[in-house]
Amino acid sequence: MSLIEAVTIPKWGMTMTEGKITQWMISEGGAVARGQEILEIETTKVTNVLEAASSGTLRRIVLNEGTTAPVGALAGVIADESATQEEIDAFIQSYADRLGSGEDGEAGSPAARSVAVEGGSVNLLEAGEAGEDVVVFLHGFGGDLTTWLFNQPALAETMRTIAVDLPGHGASSPVAGGDILAKIVSSVEEAIRPLAPGKIHLVAHSFGGAVAAAMAARQPARVGSLTLIAPIGLSKQMNRDFLVDFVAAERRRPLLAVLERLFADPSKITNDMVEGTLRFKRLEGVPEALGAIADTIANESGQSQSIGKTLAELACPITLIWGEEDQIVPVPQDKEIPANVEIRKIKGVGHMPQMEAAATVNDAINSNINKRH
Amino acid sequence: MAKKSFRQALNDALHAEMARDPRVIMMGEDLTGGAGANGVKDAWGGPFGVTRGLLGAFGPERVRDTPISEAAFIGAAAGAALTGLRPIAEIMFVDFAGVCLDQIMNQAAKFRYMFGGRAKTPLVIRATYGAGSRSGSQHTQALHSLFTHIPGLKVVIPSNPYDAKGLLLQAIRDDDPVIFLEHKMLYDTVGEVPDASYTIPFGEARVVRDGKDVAIIAIGRMVGVAEEAARSLASEGISACVLDPRTTSPLDEDTLLEVTEKIGRVVIVDEANPRCSVATDISALLADQCFDALKAPIKLVTAPHSPVPYAPNLEDAYIPTPAAVMKAVKSIVKR
Repeated sequence: MSLIEAVTIPKWGMTMTEGKITQWMISEGGAVARGQEILEIETTKVTNVLEAASSGTLRRIVLNEGTTAPVGALAGVIADESATQEEIDAFIQSYADRLGSGEDGEAGSPAARSVAVEGGSVNLLEAGEAGEDVVVFLHGFGGDLTTWLFNQPALAETMRTIAVDLPGHGASSPVAGGDILAKIVSSVEEAIRPLAPGKIHLVAHSFGGAVAAAMAARQPARVGSLTLIAPIGLSKQMNRDFLVDFVAAERRRPLLAVLERLFADPSKITNDMVEGTLRFKRLEGVPEALGAIADTIANESGQSQSIGKTLAELACPITLIWGEEDQIVPVPQDKEIPANVEIRKIKGVGHMPQMEAAATVNDAINSNINKRH
Repeated sequence: MAKKSFRQALNDALHAEMARDPRVIMMGEDLTGGAGANGVKDAWGGPFGVTRGLLGAFGPERVRDTPISEAAFIGAAAGAALTGLRPIAEIMFVDFAGVCLDQIMNQAAKFRYMFGGRAKTPLVIRATYGAGSRSGSQHTQALHSLFTHIPGLKVVIPSNPYDAKGLLLQAIRDDDPVIFLEHKMLYDTVGEVPDASYTIPFGEARVVRDGKDVAIIAIGRMVGVAEEAARSLASEGISACVLDPRTTSPLDEDTLLEVTEKIGRVVIVDEANPRCSVATDISALLADQCFDALKAPIKLVTAPHSPVPYAPNLEDAYIPTPAAVMKAVKSIVKR
């Protein structure tokens, strides 16, 4: 009996319900090796590539380039040469029947919700199995919880997770005036305490890294591990132009030029990502709030925050993940990295490793969480 | 984020800006809708319900029902703008612009220029437009081409609820006369609209959908038609980029040129009549500036050169359809 494998639209991101096929990277009849990139799919955030789960031949393309289909839909069929046309046809038909019978696989994706905190509200997205420890995802400047599109679902397979919209981002209300960073930290702590009373594992990106470091400094016993992706606060150097230009860009083309600096491969940016960012930035009060946060991140002489000392004093496992081609927050020098902190550098990746090399990053997060001291 | 109708998005914008800026006033026919059967004013909010609740919130000094006299109240609105108010005047059906064209074309549009920059006219004229409601030739025209032609006017045509709110807020805050055109068949369409205020700059097209085989430029209600055509084309292996200019004056030439350079095949969909239209205007621009990048003639999908019919079947034949767009695309794409 020949082995026939389905190539289906994957689920990236807790709320993803459909994906658009932008490119088949092999043609019908082409050979496929397990792990080979075969299908480029566009989500609301980025375009990413699906790898073949098995080797064989791409016997049939079921969904063409340009088609949008629900998660789980059959896009193509991989099989070895011994499978007959009839068997392929029957497989495709059985797939259609299975989906048609209402066996959707994922009935009811988790939805983000707002929790009240002093002075406003924090939007967050929970997912994953019930458990004592919780993974808390903190995005970076100008981003939102969908930064973790390719990471939260993977971690949610084995742990409870919470992805947060930082104050002033996504659907969370802004904080203003005074010590912005401290206020952000307070709001986040207040929002997650009732949901994660026990140990938390912080996974943070860029500016979120400073938030995570501050949270760990305030409650070291509570933090089980710290995984920081290109965090601010370790070296003096920083591309402040990025912050200034990001806040200033009011139209699509200038904003696209800014977003391109985030990725080693700018073709990953989708139109929806640009449009989504524009819509966020247009909201009343957002440019001012972002400007205030930008000021806490860097000034003319470089980075304003410094987390090295905080990290050096923590006992929990700490791993840094960095793209070697990061144009925004360059890889710190060895002497700027505390001795108790591990660093994993990824080749060919820019300031968004969690999206550009999601599988590698997810592995690194899991390893760090499971380290025992 | 809440899903709101096009109508509700506009109502949101009007409420928000009238609350924020006391200089904003409104005038037009039946803005409040007159007294209801039980004598309650503001029962109606206009024939399309867009201005509901504004009288109650802001009072009769700021929200004024006018007599049926466009010449008078559009002229009054233009004058009010000159004195420092920020009036939003409504022409119930854009077809009635014929009655007040002097006030728009010769007065409001030219004040700033003729007074050497020493006057500004922060006037918004909202008007409904478009066919599909069985209202006959004098209540269904699409006249954005006329207004785009006149220097001194800005012309805004939102295609969806999100854009409607952002563009209307921008229009009210703009210091120049803005013609804000609302397709009457879009009022019930629904989309995600933030509760907070936000503005969308003029002269900024939206890439509705990315694609590489053909660029479909569409205006107002035709954006939805183009999107539907693009979806059907995708299932036939043709990848269409859909662009919504949002404002025909100022026009986002940069985006239109950039996309045309990249793709080389263009279809323009516009509900207006075809002679001397925004469609022919854009076509000429692209033909001039992207001649070497074009791989095929620029195709225009428009209404015929005819008044809008009253008979339902003829009115339906008048309006450009997704099928007509697909046909035009296929005539210039190799597959």
